[in-house]
Amino acid sequence: MPIYKSDTNGSRGFPSAFIAVGVFVLSVITLFLPDASQDEVASLLRGSLLRPFVLAQEGLVRRSIHAEDTEVLQRRLDSLEVVIANSNTLAEENTTLRSLLLLSNRIPAQYVAASVMRPGTPGSESMFMLDVGTERGVTDDSPVIMGQGLLGRVLEAQATSATAMDWTHPQFRASAMTVDGTVYGMVRAAPGRFREADRLLLNGVPFHQELGPGVTLVTSGLGGLYPRGIRIGVVIEESGSQEGWQRSYWLRPFVSPGEATHVNVLVGEEGEFRDANSWSEGGPQVQGPGAAPQELAPGTSDTEATTPR
Amino acid sequence: MRTPARIWSVVGFLILLHFGLHLSLGLGESAPDLLVVALLIAAREVNIGRGAGLGFFLGLLDDAFSVLAFGANAFALTLVGMGGARTRDLFVGDSLLFLGSYLMLGKWMRDFLHWVAVGSDLRESFVETMLIQSPVSAAYAGLIGLIVIAISGLGWETIR
Repeated sequence: MPIYKSDTNGSRGFPSAFIAVGVFVLSVITLFLPDASQDEVASLLRGSLLRPFVLAQEGLVRRSIHAEDTEVLQRRLDSLEVVIANSNTLAEENTTLRSLLLLSNRIPAQYVAASVMRPGTPGSESMFMLDVGTERGVTDDSPVIMGQGLLGRVLEAQATSATAMDWTHPQFRASAMTVDGTVYGMVRAAPGRFREADRLLLNGVPFHQELGPGVTLVTSGLGGLYPRGIRIGVVIEESGSQEGWQRSYWLRPFVSPGEATHVNVLVGEEGEFRDANSWSEGGPQVQGPGAAPQELAPGTSDTEATTPR
Repeated sequence: MRTPARIWSVVGFLILLHFGLHLSLGLGESAPDLLVVALLIAAREVNIGRGAGLGFFLGLLDDAFSVLAFGANAFALTLVGMGGARTRDLFVGDSLLFLGSYLMLGKWMRDFLHWVAVGSDLRESFVETMLIQSPVSAAYAGLIGLIVIAISGLGWETIR
């Protein structure tokens, strides 16, 4: 076998340093590309060269979910049965009151179940991938929810997969309110010294309104991104940084992104679920992994659920 | 014996292994940064232009899942590839000390350039990132790199 001689002479006729400078300039340009162009390049790489690795992770995640402890699953099932049993009377009361007010039935929220995959590469700390896409009704900005509350939203939906961000992303914002709807504010991510110390900050609460520790915050539906009523977190304490006549509060989120392996993605026609008054009312329906997108109830244009704000 | 086939096979294997560990298995920081090890090994064998090109390509692959700062990895690995190729002219030798330092400094430099490129809004504190976390991951990558070089028999006699 011939002894290998390193390439020490550079490219003939074309100065190597010139190429290097050109590539360096290209890398700087890449850094400042518009978001849409960056997404296109990233999407192309994810769907081509890196696709086998993504598929391998999809398979492994599915296997790990199937291997989940049956006792844990049984506990979750029992909890759900209790919730369903307790809400039977509520549903009945709701139906009665709606008939008294001559309101038609609310459109139920539609979900698709999805598995979460984490890339684990530098710079991808606040993002994850889902194994469902536009074929199942997922669109850009679809909210992603775990059992306990809001996890994040879809950034980019492709045919069979989607890229999403969780609440630790620096650009995460959600309009929030207390459960009784008396106090409103804007929730954003507040990075901690370590990733595990990340938490949420509620801004924009009027100075005359105070929140005590333990108060639950949910999405308000304002802004049109998240439907009203998804649980976000609970107040820990008031933040020291006050801006003008406003208060800020630290929140402990209901959902830890590290625990997310299996989530639900809220789907529907463009803007439908965002017009709904509450995601938690009206009997959310989760489609199984193999289920096709369900038809939404027609003829509800005169209800409050579909009336644009 | 150091042959082109062996060197590029090892480089290709390390790249595949990197994405296999980080992406397919989702190990994250638990797995070493084999991409920079592969680039540093390859950069010693090519000229500065090809080193930069390879670094840019590998960086783009790493950036495919980066919504925080797309291009930061490409920027960092381009410069690391250029620097790695340039070291051939500056440092001659294949001692254990040199190779260990080369791999560790290369990894630390990659982290530093990435830290610079992500911007002030996203970066964490310099002390925690560059003086605590990065040296540990650099030592990890350096150790794995030395083991790979020794096992694969890339011709660096002194560490076998």
